[in-house]
Amino acid sequence: MSDTIELLEAIGQNATLRHASVDELAPILEQAKASAALKSAVAAGDSSLLSEEFGHKPNRAPQISNAPGHEEDEPDHDGDDKPPHPSDPGHSPPHKRTPHEQ
Amino acid sequence: MKRAWRAPPRRKTIAPVHSSTIKLPYYQVVSTPTLPPSNDARCGSLACVGMGMTLGSHLTPLARSHIEQADVVFAALSDGIVELWLQRMHPDVRSLQPYYAEGKSRMVTYRQWVDLMMTEVRAGKNVCGVFYGHPGIFAWSPHKAIEMARAEGFKAHMEPGISAEDCLYADLGIDPGRFGCQHFEASQLLFYERRIDPAGYLVLWQVGLVGDLSLKRFSTGPAYRQALVDVLSADYPLDHEVIVYRGATLPIQKPRVRRMALRDLPGAELTAEETVVLPPGTPLKQNRAMRERLAALDKEASIA
Repeated sequence: MSDTIELLEAIGQNATLRHASVDELAPILEQAKASAALKSAVAAGDSSLLSEEFGHKPNRAPQISNAPGHEEDEPDHDGDDKPPHPSDPGHSPPHKRTPHEQ
Repeated sequence: MKRAWRAPPRRKTIAPVHSSTIKLPYYQVVSTPTLPPSNDARCGSLACVGMGMTLGSHLTPLARSHIEQADVVFAALSDGIVELWLQRMHPDVRSLQPYYAEGKSRMVTYRQWVDLMMTEVRAGKNVCGVFYGHPGIFAWSPHKAIEMARAEGFKAHMEPGISAEDCLYADLGIDPGRFGCQHFEASQLLFYERRIDPAGYLVLWQVGLVGDLSLKRFSTGPAYRQALVDVLSADYPLDHEVIVYRGATLPIQKPRVRRMALRDLPGAELTAEETVVLPPGTPLKQNRAMRERLAALDKEASIA
């Protein structure tokens, strides 16, 4: 049986496979000896079926950049939520920022 | 069964360039084994990169190189399977996912992430933080860690990645340049008085947890979304068609695209990963006074 992660990577990198229909992909997976879980997931159009092979691995996605409630993390903010200055691209000596030209 | 990490194939290398003969920007990594180490550079570095959105499709060569060259890799990814893929690129990949917890403020989590990365940087390691999509979009920790590392005298760099926004434009056939495009984290429209231009596209991120001030929830409910609709109804009719979009994270997935009336948004089932797009609701209005001024300038320059 072929490695599912490797097959997924190969599909992701291949222009034909990435956009192949279920009917087009099924025989390719069969030929590649894909796992039952991968074949099922493709056939059903339901990637959650991969959990049969990998277990259930839900990941939390959201990151928040500007939600209030953590102004205390930015001690120089005075509550008006002023826009921060973009960080200088260069690294600076400790405790001091000096502008760098690229 | 976890596939063991194996060394990456040997890649072409470029002969070292001596910086004494060529003026190089500060940020360019140069292999100069014969030069003495700079007194200004501290051991330890940080690179924050993105995996892109879809496994196998979007990882840039440069991001992969950062991963492979790092001493330790920290990962905050969209999918557990993508994390398994990353683990094959490096023998020491440490997931940041366990630091999330229901009922725990996400700011506590994100500060922990920064601490974890900075601890290794201060220990003299070359650290790579890997984030889904683009590491600098809707991502507090990478920016904070880079800011902190630079302030302490370490080299720190962010590489752009293919973001959910990029996939959205491709999957929905939207050119942000055509009518203009505003992006907001949905909660900002509730917490702040923001100006919306309904003549352009409006993209609202993280609608599934709109209105959460606590940062402890991963979803809010229909009542919070109704508050969002009430704000939007000042600029859009309630029958205005909106698009609910989620991009593909695995290459066997198709993007999820649903269309519905704005009024139906509160009652729709919505995940944290889904994004709401409002196409333009009014036509562009010409600025006649400015056009006349431009015409006069063109005439002066004999372009008209």
